Amino acid sequence: MTKGVVLVVDDEAQIRDILGFYLKRAGYQVLLAEDGRKALDEMDKLQPDLILSDLRMPELAGDELCRIVKGKPETRDIYFVLVSAMDGSSSKIGGLNLGADDMITKPFHAQEVMAKVESAFRLIAMQKEIKRQNQELMRFQERMTAELSLAARLQIGLLPSIPGQAAGIRYTHRYLPAEGIGGDIYTILPAVDGGVALLIADVSGHGVTAALISAMVKTFFEAQVRQGGNPLTWAQAMNRDLTRSTLSEQFATAFLAHLEPSSNTMRYVVAGHDAPMRITQGARGGSLKPELLPGKGFMLGIDEDLPFTEQSCPFEVGDRMILFTDGLVEVEREDRTLLGHDGLVQVCAELPRDAEGAADHIVDKVRRFNDPMAFVDDVTLVVMDRV
Amino acid sequence: MLNIQTRQEGNASVVTIQGKVNFEVTAQLRDVIRDTVTTQQPKLLVINLEGVNFIDSSGLGLLVAARNSVDKNNGKLHLCGLPPQVKKTFDQTNLTNYFSIFATEQDALRGA
Repeated sequence: MTKGVVLVVDDEAQIRDILGFYLKRAGYQVLLAEDGRKALDEMDKLQPDLILSDLRMPELAGDELCRIVKGKPETRDIYFVLVSAMDGSSSKIGGLNLGADDMITKPFHAQEVMAKVESAFRLIAMQKEIKRQNQELMRFQERMTAELSLAARLQIGLLPSIPGQAAGIRYTHRYLPAEGIGGDIYTILPAVDGGVALLIADVSGHGVTAALISAMVKTFFEAQVRQGGNPLTWAQAMNRDLTRSTLSEQFATAFLAHLEPSSNTMRYVVAGHDAPMRITQGARGGSLKPELLPGKGFMLGIDEDLPFTEQSCPFEVGDRMILFTDGLVEVEREDRTLLGHDGLVQVCAELPRDAEGAADHIVDKVRRFNDPMAFVDDVTLVVMDRV
Repeated sequence: MLNIQTRQEGNASVVTIQGKVNFEVTAQLRDVIRDTVTTQQPKLLVINLEGVNFIDSSGLGLLVAARNSVDKNNGKLHLCGLPPQVKKTFDQTNLTNYFSIFATEQDALRGA
């Protein structure tokens, strides 16, 4: 195993012999060439790690050889030392400007050359290590990107399929995560009493952690709903579960609701989340009066003992509910204003009758309002019609 | 741009925050608060939010975490100087009832 490959290029046989002798003795594999042209021939057979080249040679001088070696991507990383009889800093600078990595002036001591070669190989080893690490990082990044896009597809799979329907409602959604995967989640499922349970939640933070917690939030909610109960007991239990299973700075804002089609009522808990907008007879078109549902409350997951309150509102056939996460209304525009809830109320005052059209209309209007700023947070929008 | 300053006032530590508190800066802010709580072990930690023009959910999470770590040391956390925009966020999430909130830093230091 040699310490590396050195190509010595010099038209004086004596210099080639002396350098070759010392280099071999130090454990390097040595290639010899009498001019630049021959050096290129040698390089075709075996690529050296380092070239020690005389400057003045009859066929293809050292500066030309340097330019060729440094000009090609496949040989650019070869460490190039120019050996020149010209003394003085100007010629040294000239050589380094050609792209040479170092200069040695003639006459030289073989020990001086050997010391330069040894230090050059330390640099070469370092460069190789950096290159290896870079490649490793790039492979890692490619793998992460692939895994994230897989995770993003899985996360979309956690959302209800649309257009969807449950007892007494029809719904659709628009889901726009900020970083491929996000912390927004919503779910709609049958409650044990024949009604419908629904949750929309937004986990603090972004990315993988938020996405994992959002999956937990969905699981906790569905487990609660299967046991019966009502939005208040669901919120209390989920708050306890989340406080115990996440760090103190991680939490979720949520809107939890239970819809009873038989009584045309929706019971709900607002847990630090934007309350949804109710549009009376919104699914029937005409002039609309959207109103944000009253209610506020703590987010889930900060403290086990926090109280929550349940409220209720009418939800009759033909009514429409717009549920959303704050990413929809909290984009800071260039003039530092936000759409906010008032803006969203205005956007929702004129909506098409069909839910798909309404969802597109809202996203489109909000985007236009924010233009040229894009959504920065995860955005989830659900349009739910009572039928 | 986030600007964070800390100082001691008797037994109390005061952290003054200016700028936009969102997920991009929470790591930096978390370090400052953690260092203050562990090195000073203050009986009272005052966080002055007067210069904060925006706070997102990760910023709120950080304040909750700060309260928890101060609680563990048997200390208190007082917030002060909430601008209207921030106050609205606190109202919406009921956090106004979770934190001890004061109008001015003087009030927060007196605990009145």
